Amino acid sequence: MPSVTVQYDAAAASRLLDEVSERSGQNLKACYQCRKCAAGCPVGEESGVTPDRLIRTILVGDREAAVNNLLVWKCVACYTCGTRCPNNIQTARITETLKQMSKKAHAKPLRPRIADFHASFMTATKHFGRFNELEGMAIYETKTALKDLAKGDVKAVIHEMAGQMKLGFQMMKKKRMHFKLDRVKANGEVKAMYKKAKARSEK
Amino acid sequence: MKQLAYYPGCSLHSSSELYDVQCKMVFRQLGIELKEIDDWNCCGATAAAKTDDFLAVALPARNLGLADATGLGEIMIPCSSCYSRTLVAQKTITSDPGLKEAINAELGHKVKGDIKVSTILEVLLPKVRSGEVASKIVKKLEGLKPACYYGCLLTRFPVDVEATDDVENPQGMESVCTALGAKPIDWGYKTDCCGASASVNDADQSLLLMSRIVGDAAARGANCIVTSCPLCQFNVDAYQDKVGEQYGIAKRLPVYFITELVGVAMGLSATEMQVDRHLVDAMGLLKELNLL
Repeated sequence: MPSVTVQYDAAAASRLLDEVSERSGQNLKACYQCRKCAAGCPVGEESGVTPDRLIRTILVGDREAAVNNLLVWKCVACYTCGTRCPNNIQTARITETLKQMSKKAHAKPLRPRIADFHASFMTATKHFGRFNELEGMAIYETKTALKDLAKGDVKAVIHEMAGQMKLGFQMMKKKRMHFKLDRVKANGEVKAMYKKAKARSEK
Repeated sequence: MKQLAYYPGCSLHSSSELYDVQCKMVFRQLGIELKEIDDWNCCGATAAAKTDDFLAVALPARNLGLADATGLGEIMIPCSSCYSRTLVAQKTITSDPGLKEAINAELGHKVKGDIKVSTILEVLLPKVRSGEVASKIVKKLEGLKPACYYGCLLTRFPVDVEATDDVENPQGMESVCTALGAKPIDWGYKTDCCGASASVNDADQSLLLMSRIVGDAAARGANCIVTSCPLCQFNVDAYQDKVGEQYGIAKRLPVYFITELVGVAMGLSATEMQVDRHLVDAMGLLKELNLL
């Protein structure tokens, strides 16, 4: 992360800290920047941000940088940072929280494909109660292709489709592709959970 | 025959159906019948955790309610992601009665939350330690040098739950492999992340992570990788050619499920276990070592 000068506003910083701490259940104030998390983070280098930096960004109250950085999106939820933290701070819970805060604020995800994948997964799971790989992938690939086409990036669409078709063909050859639809009989229960989740998140 | 509640999860009902087949075959051979819980739903995997805190607990909680209703006292979950989400949900509702109540209000089978949630290794290892596995071996896996690959979610959790193995250097699969006559190698990436769904939505990142895993296993002389997680297995198997091409790794390593090694050693048919359905050929090495 390039160094920037942040106008420190104590009240705003405290608001951001309280919000992230409460939603993630993590005590960010316990961080003393030992960077054990940074050493173990598998995506820190490519993100340009490590867990310790993310926590620091929140502590100084830079809301924009806290929500809009690659670590929030690229975090693979491997939980290495939190497992090694001497103060038991699970930064993966913080990235999950920031992602949800970013969505709530209708911010544009820095990595739309990652956001679209998780959204597609949840949509597919809601339909039948189980994640059907073909359905989930179809929802995801359609979303991705439409966005690429809207940008006029036909090459990206062709590249993505060619890659998926190659994998799909290999999977079919090895009988790893499944066409049977798996569904929950009492899916009303699953749908009721989704409804409740929506109501709770809007509170 | 002893019965155990069993949650296969979505992966074992689709691209990793072979793992479902093998689990049932191997445990039947070891005197355990896996009773799939009726009408289970998706655990929400990482997607729910990243998008909605309530669903991340509520989805696996419904399965816990179904599992509690079996009265079997223990449920085995072979997929590391399903296992982790279910265990975390159980821990979360136990410490948050309000949340438990909100979830139970929607459920036919209310979740009590006291069933023992087990990994496949937790069920397998006592059978190894008691000598039962050894007594059923018909073929020692001589010449097999597996890199035991655990991935993330078997030992690391977002909340405080006790890991069932050493967090940084787990040994469960090594114990199983050694009992089967194989010689597991020492290596540095056994608990590293393969990227999971990043192989689809952040491909370059995932390929880089997998290159370290496959590269280290190959460099240290492993002739195969063995795992118990269907997501790890699929990634390292299906994307290995791409990883190899992009990162200059010439060797291709079959990625076995732990059940395949136990099954082959106990004389179960590799074809019936669907070992021929891997993307990196997994039958060739077994043939070469006279294990078929």
